[in-house]
Amino acid sequence: MPSTDFAELLEKHPPVEESLIEILHDVQLAHRYLPRPALVAVAAHCAVPLARVMSVATFYKAFSLEPKGEKVLKVCMGTACHVKGASQLLDEAERLLGCKCGETTADGRYTLEEVNCVGACAMAPLVIEDEQYHGKFKPVDMKLLLKAGE
Amino acid sequence: MKLTLANIDGYRQELVTQRKELQSIMVCCGTGCRARNGLGVAEAMGEALEAAGLGDEVKVELTSTGCHGWCEQGPIVTIEPDGVFYTNVKPEHAGEIVAGFQSGHPVQKLLYRDLTTRERKVTYHEVPFYSHQTRWAMRNVGRISPTEIDHYIARDGYKALAKVLAGMSPAEVVDEVAKAGLRGRGGGGFDAGRKWRSAARASGSPKYIICNGDEGDPGAFMDRSIMEADPHGVLEGMIIGAYAIGATQGYIYVRQEYPLAVKHLEQAMADAREMGLLGEQILGSDFSFEIKIARGGGAFVCGESSALMRSIEGKVGEPRAKYVHAADKGLFDRPTVLNNVETFICVPLILDKGAEHFAATGTAGSKGTKAFSVVGKVNCNGLIEVPMGTTLRELIFDVAGGVPKGRTFKAVQTGGPSGGCLPESQLDLAVDFDTLADAGSMMGSGGLIVMDDRNCLVDVARYFVKFLVDESCGKCVPCREGLKQMLAILSRITQGEGRTEDLVAIDKLCDVLKDGSLCALGKSAANPVLSTLKYFRSEYEEHIRDGFCRAGVCGKLCSYHINEKCTGCAVCAKVCPVTCISGEKKELHVIDQGPCIQCGSCFDACRFDAIEIRSAP
Amino acid sequence: MSEIILNGRKVKVRKGEFLLAVARREGIEIPTLCQHDAVEPAGACRLCLVEVTRPEWEGWSKLVTSCLFPAEDGLIVSTDSAPVHKTRKGILELLMARSPNAVPVRELARQYGIEQCPYPVQHDGDNCILCDICTRVCQNLVTGAISRIDRGVGKRVATPFAEPSTDCVGCLACAKSCPTAAIPYEDEGLRRTIWGKTFEVASCAGCGAPTVTAEQAAWIEQSKGVSREDQLVCDRCKAQKTAAAYQKLAW
Ligand SMILES: Cc1cc2nc3c(=O)[nH]c(=O)nc-3n(C[C@H](O)[C@H](O)[C@H](O)COP(=O)(O)O)c2cc1C
Ligand code: SF4
Ligand code: SF4
Ligand code: FES
Ligand code: FES
Ligand code: FES
Repeated sequence: MPSTDFAELLEKHPPVEESLIEILHDVQLAHRYLPRPALVAVAAHCAVPLARVMSVATFYKAFSLEPKGEKVLKVCMGTACHVKGASQLLDEAERLLGCKCGETTADGRYTLEEVNCVGACAMAPLVIEDEQYHGKFKPVDMKLLLKAGE
Repeated sequence: MKLTLANIDGYRQELVTQRKELQSIMVCCGTGCRARNGLGVAEAMGEALEAAGLGDEVKVELTSTGCHGWCEQGPIVTIEPDGVFYTNVKPEHAGEIVAGFQSGHPVQKLLYRDLTTRERKVTYHEVPFYSHQTRWAMRNVGRISPTEIDHYIARDGYKALAKVLAGMSPAEVVDEVAKAGLRGRGGGGFDAGRKWRSAARASGSPKYIICNGDEGDPGAFMDRSIMEADPHGVLEGMIIGAYAIGATQGYIYVRQEYPLAVKHLEQAMADAREMGLLGEQILGSDFSFEIKIARGGGAFVCGESSALMRSIEGKVGEPRAKYVHAADKGLFDRPTVLNNVETFICVPLILDKGAEHFAATGTAGSKGTKAFSVVGKVNCNGLIEVPMGTTLRELIFDVAGGVPKGRTFKAVQTGGPSGGCLPESQLDLAVDFDTLADAGSMMGSGGLIVMDDRNCLVDVARYFVKFLVDESCGKCVPCREGLKQMLAILSRITQGEGRTEDLVAIDKLCDVLKDGSLCALGKSAANPVLSTLKYFRSEYEEHIRDGFCRAGVCGKLCSYHINEKCTGCAVCAKVCPVTCISGEKKELHVIDQGPCIQCGSCFDACRFDAIEIRSAP
Repeated sequence: MSEIILNGRKVKVRKGEFLLAVARREGIEIPTLCQHDAVEPAGACRLCLVEVTRPEWEGWSKLVTSCLFPAEDGLIVSTDSAPVHKTRKGILELLMARSPNAVPVRELARQYGIEQCPYPVQHDGDNCILCDICTRVCQNLVTGAISRIDRGVGKRVATPFAEPSTDCVGCLACAKSCPTAAIPYEDEGLRRTIWGKTFEVASCAGCGAPTVTAEQAAWIEQSKGVSREDQLVCDRCKAQKTAAAYQKLAW
């Protein structure tokens, strides 16, 4: 991927360090991860060393340096969800997907992640598949959700 | 149309007159209700209204609201001005709702049913969850469409701003906020008037004003609800603040997990600009001010003020020592005021109604009201705004309806990862900035998580430490290394490998964290641990000494068994994710201990008390 | 001029001067691991904690990092009170668990009477204590080739993608400023390797001794305007040249 592919994304932001995080958000939204050439292009655009872009890109959880699976399954680990059994949900997801939290399944279909509260705590515990929220989730529901995704 | 100081009152008056004759059917399209197909309901309502072909004589509008703060009951549909309140609405109910609207007979089955009397309540005014509340910060939440600036203006929106620009000096605004006794709602409870005064006096320009919408406290969602449901209220508070301190540029820092809040704020900013309420020469005065939105990156520490400012600068969100105040050297090393969403939304209210009015509610040291997110093991999970000084017991039992049937209250966690867990004996404490801190917790930003006998407090302490290990920025040694060691110890205890001397080591680590850490994340990280040790020490001891977790949470320290109360209803077998429960219909069931993962689903599902938690085999 | 009370003694200070600098000037030792004169203070290691109070605080006091705390008139500072000692010791125990082989950590641990670390010790632990000196030095004084990656417990110093960096000029500023010698490098004759990248080192025009890498020379020329020729003379030869010139003059 030549760095010019990102030109359009970059143009929207003034070439200063202040834009760095906003640009990375845009790249992440467009590609669902931060491709290496993008990081190089962003460094050049904002006139900061690549190392600095790397420290920002790895500090914030919103960014990922690895491509994600076709679907992202997130288990909310916020306090409200925790006291209603979120760990059991995560265990169950790990067990059924055969991958650990933060990993992508071998077939590339799912990336399993945790999130610290999505602000829908009144419906805890929550599981979020891509942008779809599922409230009052039970361990036994996980099987159905993953099956429906097949 | 551009509003000016001269025409805004007339414009509002016109809107009020127009809207007086109007009935509004409002569908909640906040994050929570969307999750339960709120958008589908909105669409179906539109079709149903069209199909009903209401003539010109009925003036009705269909709009959407932001989150009411009671997503558990969602999707919510309300009909104003009466306040008819429908819960759990599905698209297929749309026809009935419209018919009910026409006939004046509300759809009974969709009305909220009182927990104790089992009576249906027609309007939200009659529902205890709402009637016990004093919604000041949330005055417009659920009552207006967040994307219609006219709705906001009609409910006295931008009235305070006009008053300020027409006849108050910046110093008078600061004085008014100070007189109201407004303290920051983001957790620290710092005096907002004082903060504004230092920034107003500071030399250096430009000056900045920042709204903290990072809401990192997991389990709290009042800032989300406010930003989603009343974005103009936040903007108005910021604009007034900017005028008071002389800021020309503002930022709203919003968590990346809140996309809808960003969308509504952006729309609100565009509409406000269009109408001359934001940007150059606001309301025709010579005061100009702009706002930008900065999206957070999924880092709890960025809620901390100095880290947040670094993040806006495009940097890694590491806190700095605050020996020099942000009021003098904040964002880009310029004078900066940072306040929480809820703090800002109180500002228009104070200037509109007067400082005395605001200060008349609350306690000696904490004025006004506070919104809480009361969630966990309570009957009504949602946002509750009450006067400062309300007791925990009133909040949890009177407003939120207490813990669900069959379970007993164990603890309430307040203040998020910086706060603590309080037991039943502390429930009569008044909730304000100072009282809870004295008891070893803190009010914090308003998360209030209720736990029952099925929650293990050692596990909860471990949960918070794990959270903080993941969220520590890693800059300073006590927090980075100390939390790592603390997590190792707590994990050992929850896995049955705890030692008596562990409790001593924990105490020592707590001291290093408190006294040595750079920012408040590390300094207060000991609170969840210390408070559980203080009030629930016996649970730690039971884990260590007896290897038993009576709550049935720590999997290695418990096992689940079915006793003779079993009626053979097989409900447990249906919910077991590993299908390790077997038995004939109507006969005693058994749990196969081998594959059992101690998830407790069966325990929670059984209606006959037939499942027991015992120590691990 | 303002005045503070430092360990019971009245001391004149410039307003805004950091307490650490004042203490050092007065010959008082305060342990530090993340302070470096070439860069702004960071407040990361927390070892330089001191206790400060004021008469009007009515007995209340707080611990602050002296590397960052500005001296102000009337401040009462104690650099080795019991709470200071206890907290420093607690921090050193944590560092001992992480980097038991780092010499300054061991030395300080000994000074603070730590006989046995109360936490499980990572015997093969990394010497890097994440003081952020190397990265600050490289960012502020050189090209910013390294940075801290990830956050929290996973934080570490690295080049982008942990690969040889195009920005690195092989100046060794990071390795030389590291208090715990945690950055490995090889410097053999005219070959130098650091962060996985190997450099040719130019030899001195006068005596043939190693001077700077070609990348470093180019960078210095571009950023500081020092010509390459001037850089290709080693310090000893430069000194000799000056001495010779001086002798000529004096004679
Ligand atoms: C680790 C940490 C996280 C914080 N997170 C938030 C947050 O999410 N939202 C918030 O308003 N304040 C948060 N704060 C408090 C802010 O630092 C700051 O005090 C507050 O935003 C100031 O506004 P206020 O005076 O109106 O409360 C946090 C503080 C710390 C130490
Ligand atoms: S206390 Fe924790 S979060 Fe705060 S600066 Fe230190 S490492 Fe970072
Ligand atoms: S490598 Fe050395 S200088 Fe760099 S952060 Fe680690 S200890 Fe500090
Ligand atoms: S805790 Fe899970 S949504 Fe808030
Ligand atoms: S989103 Fe509808 S009540 Fe919260
Ligand atoms: S020297 Fe001051 S914190 Fe490290």
